[in-house]
Parts: sequence; C-alpha cells; structure tokens
Amino acid sequence: MLKKNVFFVLAVVLACIAPIPIQAADFPEKEVSIIIPWAPGGATDLVFRAVAAASQKHLGKAIVIVNRAGGGGAVGYTEGAQAKPDGYTLTAAVTPLTILPHQVKTAFTYKSFDPVINIVSDPSMFLVRSEAPWKTMREFLDQAKKNPGMISVGNSGAGGGVHLVALAFEKAAGVKFNHIPFSGGGPSVTALLGGHVNAVSVSPPEGISHVQAGKLRIIALFSEKRFDMFPTVPTVKEQGVNFVMGMWRGIAAPKGTPPAVIQKLHDAFKKGMDDPGFKKTAKDMAVNLEYLSPADFGKLMAESDESFSKLVKEIKK
Amino acid sequence: MVESVQQLFTGFGIAATLTNLLYCLLGAVAGTLVGILPGLGPIAGIALLIPVTFGLNPTSAIIMLCGIYYGAMYGGSTTSILLNVPGETASVITCIDGYQMARKGKAGPALAICAIGSFTAGTLAVFGMVFLAPPLAQAALAFGPPEYFSLMVCGFIVLSNVTGGSLIKSLMMAVIGLIIGTVGLDPVTGEYRFTFDTTYLLSGIEFVAVAIGLFGIAEVLANVDQPLENMESGILVPRFRDLYPSLQDLKTSFGAILRGAGIGFGVGLVPGPAPVIATYASYMTEKRISNHPDDFGTGVIEGVAGPEAANNAACQSAFIPLFVLGIPFAPPTAILLGALMIHGVVPGPMMITEHPDVFWGVIASMYIGNFILLLLNLPFVPFFASILRIPKKVLLPLVMLFCLTGMYTVNNSINDIWLMLLMGALGYLMRKRAYDAAPLLLALVIGPKMEVAFRQSLMLSHGNFGVFFERPVSLVFLVATFLFLALPAFRFMIRRLGAGARNEGGSG
Repeated sequence: MLKKNVFFVLAVVLACIAPIPIQAADFPEKEVSIIIPWAPGGATDLVFRAVAAASQKHLGKAIVIVNRAGGGGAVGYTEGAQAKPDGYTLTAAVTPLTILPHQVKTAFTYKSFDPVINIVSDPSMFLVRSEAPWKTMREFLDQAKKNPGMISVGNSGAGGGVHLVALAFEKAAGVKFNHIPFSGGGPSVTALLGGHVNAVSVSPPEGISHVQAGKLRIIALFSEKRFDMFPTVPTVKEQGVNFVMGMWRGIAAPKGTPPAVIQKLHDAFKKGMDDPGFKKTAKDMAVNLEYLSPADFGKLMAESDESFSKLVKEIKK
Repeated sequence: MVESVQQLFTGFGIAATLTNLLYCLLGAVAGTLVGILPGLGPIAGIALLIPVTFGLNPTSAIIMLCGIYYGAMYGGSTTSILLNVPGETASVITCIDGYQMARKGKAGPALAICAIGSFTAGTLAVFGMVFLAPPLAQAALAFGPPEYFSLMVCGFIVLSNVTGGSLIKSLMMAVIGLIIGTVGLDPVTGEYRFTFDTTYLLSGIEFVAVAIGLFGIAEVLANVDQPLENMESGILVPRFRDLYPSLQDLKTSFGAILRGAGIGFGVGLVPGPAPVIATYASYMTEKRISNHPDDFGTGVIEGVAGPEAANNAACQSAFIPLFVLGIPFAPPTAILLGALMIHGVVPGPMMITEHPDVFWGVIASMYIGNFILLLLNLPFVPFFASILRIPKKVLLPLVMLFCLTGMYTVNNSINDIWLMLLMGALGYLMRKRAYDAAPLLLALVIGPKMEVAFRQSLMLSHGNFGVFFERPVSLVFLVATFLFLALPAFRFMIRRLGAGARNEGGSG
C-alpha cells in the first residue's frame, strides 16, 4: 500500500510540473513564459522578473521566466524565434538581438520577432573600484593612451551588448583596452570587486548597489543626460568625448503572433509597468523605465540594427 | 559577536512565527521532493516556485525558497542510495558507497546517516554563517581567474579518481567529458563549436541528460540483462531492525560528518558548483585518512556520511557571498538573487543594515529548517527503504518512466530524451567494461568553467603562463595537484626499487 502511495504522489507531482498543451481559444489559457537569453542574476533577468511579477495579475495567468543562457544570447534567441507564435512563449528583446546577427551566423534577426513593448532604456557605463588611481574619465583615458591594451575591462560575454559598448567607446576615445569576457554581468562585477580587472562595462542595475555602498565608482557614463541617482557624475559627452550608448530591454513574440494576442500582452505589460510597486522596484534597481508601443519599439529595433550593422563592420576592419 | 547573537535571537523571533514556520516546512518538503526526483534539481525547483511567492512578504518568500535549496540536498541522497540515480548533481558521490550499502541491505542506516549528517553539518554551518560571514566572504573575493583555474585543475585531477578504479580509465573518461563539454558556443569569442548547424547543440550537451543516462538508464539496463531469478536476489531487502544505524555506525561516521561539515563550509565560500566539489573533496579526504581505504566503493558508511554532511554545509555557506556581497557563486544562489531582487531586497554590503529582519530571519529559519528536515527524514526512512521491496520487474519500468518524464520537464525537449537514451546505452557499455562514469560527468560540468577561467587568466596576463605560478594561492593548488599525481608514481618506483633490491639480494 505504502509503496503504491509513493508513486502515486510522485506521479501527481510530475503531472503538475509537466506542461499540458492546450489549444489556444481564449488567450491566455495557461501561463506565459518569457525566455531570457542570459543567466539568472544579470540586469535583464532582474528587470524581467520584476515586470513579470507586476504584470501577471493584469494578464490573468502566471508569467514565468525561463533562462536560456549561451553564446551571448544566441541560444535563447534561436529558441524564442522558433517558438510557436501563439503568444505563450515570449522573448526578452534586448540590444544584443540587433548585434549578434552581424557578428556571427545566426538563425534569427530582429525581424524574426514581432515587437510587444519596450520597458527599459538604460545608459551604459564603466565602473572602477573606489580606490582606483583614476579620479576622472580624463585620467582614466590618459593612462589607457600611455599603456595601450594594459587596462583590463570586463564585460558580460563576447558579442553581448556591453562588450560592443566597450569596443565602440575605445574607438570614440582613441584608446585600446584589454577586453575580458565573463559569463554575465554578475561575474564581471565580482571580478572587479576582487581586483582582477581594472574596470567593467555594465548597464544598470548591475553593480549599482556597490556604487551606492561606496565600493565602486562610475568612471564613464555614456548617457545623454546625467543619472538621477548620481547627479554629481558627469557624462562622457560633457567631458568632450562624443559618445552616447545604452541598452534597451523590451518584450517580443515570435513572428506571426496574432495581433489581438500581442495587443493583450502589451496591455498587461503596460499596466504592469504603471504598477507603483514595480516603479519603486525599478527605482531601487536604478533602471530607467521607457515605455514604447509595439510600433515604436519596432522602429527602435530597426534603427538599432542598422547602427550596429555599421559599427560591427567598422570594428571588424 | 555579542551583537550577532542578539540579532540571531531577534531572527528566531521572526522565523518562529506560525506563518514563517509554515513556509519553512513547505520549502523543506518541496525541496525534498525536488531532490528525490532525478532530473529536477534545486535550480528548476526554485525557479518553478518563485511565482508562488509573489504575494508573500520578502522574509517568508526567501525562507521558503532557501528551504527548497537545502531541502533538495537531503532529498537528493534518497534516490542515490536506493536506486543509484542521483537526484541532483551533489548526490553523485553518495551513489558510490550509498548504493553499495543498499545492496548489502543497509539502505536504512545509509539514509538515516544522511539525515543525521546533513542536520549536524547544516547546524554547524548556520553558526559559522553568523560569526564568519563578513570576513570570510571578503577572503573568497580574492579568487580571480588564475586561482579559480588552478583550484579546478586540482579538484579535477584529485576528483577524477574517486571510485578508486584504474586511474588511466578514469582520466580517459575525464577527457571524453572535457571534449563533449566544448560543444556549443565558444564562451569567449561566441563562435559555434561542433554544433553541426543544429540549434539543439547550440546550448551544448545537456548535463542532466548525460547524468540521467549514464547513471539512471545504464543502471536499468545493467539490471535487465541479468536472468530474472538473479535480478530479484540482487538486493537484500532491509529488515526493520536494520533500518537505523548502530552505535558503531554513528561512532564511525562522527568524524566524517565533522570533517565533511568543515570542508563543505569552506568550499561553499568559493565560486563554483560548491555542493558538487564539496562532496568529492570530502569523499577523497575520508578515503585518504581511512585505515581501510580499499573498502571505499563497497559500501562504507563514512563514504556516505562525509559527502552528505559536506554538501549540506556547502549549500548553506554559499549563502554568505550571496547575502553579504550580492554575488551568486552558483546557479541556485543566482536564482535566489533574482528572487531577492523581485521582493525588493538588494543583497550586498548594505543588506544586513537595510533588511535586518530578512537577513537574520532567514538565517534563523535555516536552523529551524534543518530541524524540520531531520524530523521529516528520519521517520520516513522505513517508508523510503520500502521502495526496495518492490519487485524489480515493477520498479525498473517505473524508474525508466521517471527518467523519461523527469528529463522532459527540464527543457521540454524531445532531443534531450534521445541524448539521454544514447548516454544510457553508452553508460551500460562503460559499466560492462568497468569504466567509471563519474569523471566524465565531472569533466562535463567543470570543463567549460575551467576553459573560461584559463582563457581569462591568459587574456589578463597578455599570454604569460607565469600568471598561474606567480600568484601564491594558485601556486599552492598546482603544487598540490603535482604531488597528487607524483606520489603514486614515487611510491610505485620505491616499491619497484625495494623489490628489485630484494630480488638481487635473493639471487646474490
């Protein structure tokens, strides 16, 4: 009797865990998942976990985060692009979606997706340890100029967004860094805290808590305007390097998803974005919310794709 | 120190409220189940249950999610011992002696010693956390890519030969593991490697498929190829009085548990798959210092008690870098980091001052959770052990079913199932020819991390290999590796010389 029960209990548990395919009639009938093409704990992961939590009550079904890390996002994007276009499998559309296809042969481009909503636009930045010898961006760049390739700059993985930001910045500033890839923003910040690299290229919220705690400093800020949270930190543009670059983070569905379904998803995420709890979380994490409708988000992706296409070609030269 | 104790008491006040006790229990039960089911590890378990915590306050939510993590460490040992199927990666080592104990009819004592060892180690680790958290995490941060690489080389070589079979066969298996670990995308340049233009191989060879295949499916196959009458007599079903460990068992295990707890606690502070490394290190230590090392692998209770204590201590001390620095050193703690952020708690240097209720409440709950798990696991030892009474012709198809469904729930990928079956066939052949699967699995896990650390080190040093020898901590690990490889060779040469001298003496 006892042994029968063991397997009955286990079978029930398994049955609960295994997803049951349901024919879509009235969307959503089951939980919606968002593929994050990076490891848990990175900037994108944290933002989307929060927005999923805030939006699911508006959608009426749970929103589940699925991490598919690998190849600077290629694994997750391939899977996301090939998912059934029924609105149940969404993908976190982040800047590298428009970078990767120019760098390696991929089975997807931004055109493999239908835009749903843009949620975040974050400035990129370089962080250094607070006891680093350079007090300003100028001092930092002067040293880099004197010792080409000697200053090591960590990034969250080859081909990812912040890696290219670092490459583009060194081009704009006329210096040469030693780029060290890590498997995500978290590990690169760890390496900086431990003193194993001189600087890291990140995008908020990565590393922000350490800046607040006084362990790290922002040495170069690549946004148009100063950062609300750290109003004393000047942008690089103010200091004479004409360079602005950031990361956008939105949600996309596989190409061919019914427009009515996209509209429903968009409305739920929009309400989630307006949720006061989520706004506070976003502020605590130092991410910059920027809402864009599906059409505008599509335009942003197209523009971004074009500029990265040029940038990658120039860098490869 | 006094302040820490005071705050710990406040934490107990928070953790001992009825609601929080309930969530602690829920987490522990869910964790045990997650640990028992092969293929469904703590990472998947936590991820699946994060949505459940959204309505809760942060303390209750984190208490429950942490419970899943350390609960899985208790649960993982159960299937390892009874079925030779590791429920999660940290239980691979437990299979070696645990399963042999079960075959000898000592499944009960093995399961009980796991629970006792895990409880003791968990308790010690919680106290360690209270007093050592801040200074220790700082020290662990000093591990850069070169240290990380050397540590992994050392661990890798030392651990490749855990089962004590042929070193050459073990190293061969390790190399195969390293090779298949390179499939997927190049971690540094993002180029495709050995993917043959398929999407499935982009994410690399699925570890869970290899693990369930080599251990679970291969075990089923190895059982099936025996004549039916032999099959049923293979395992001695435990009698009830054999269910709990004898005084002698407890005495033998006591030292192993304490050493395991110490090793686990230390390893948990270093980046990497802490519970996995901790179990291997503990097993090796027990084998080294044992006065009957040759019995290891035949069902020695220290070989179960030490690693089980180690994985529990490691998974708890891994919370130190997570809480104090906001840095996850392993995938499960990375998921927990995400959960913390969702609940508005930013782990880091400021967490203890900003959210003392969460920090101390969660630490106190871990102590309570360990106690709950002990209560939960000990009475159920006869219950779990009764699985062995099921006739093999019923049990084996069920195990097969578990492997198939468990595998599918990981990625919902049918390709994973094919890979798992292929690995099962390979595992069966390896078993027939006495090739050990554990080094292959270990290499598959550590290989890619080792490669990244190696390449990062060389990029940082501009191609200078000296970086591994110039840094003291790294050098220590490399010297230890060398000694480990050289000592058996020296011993062999000395024995040869000694024998030669005697022979000459005899003939002369």
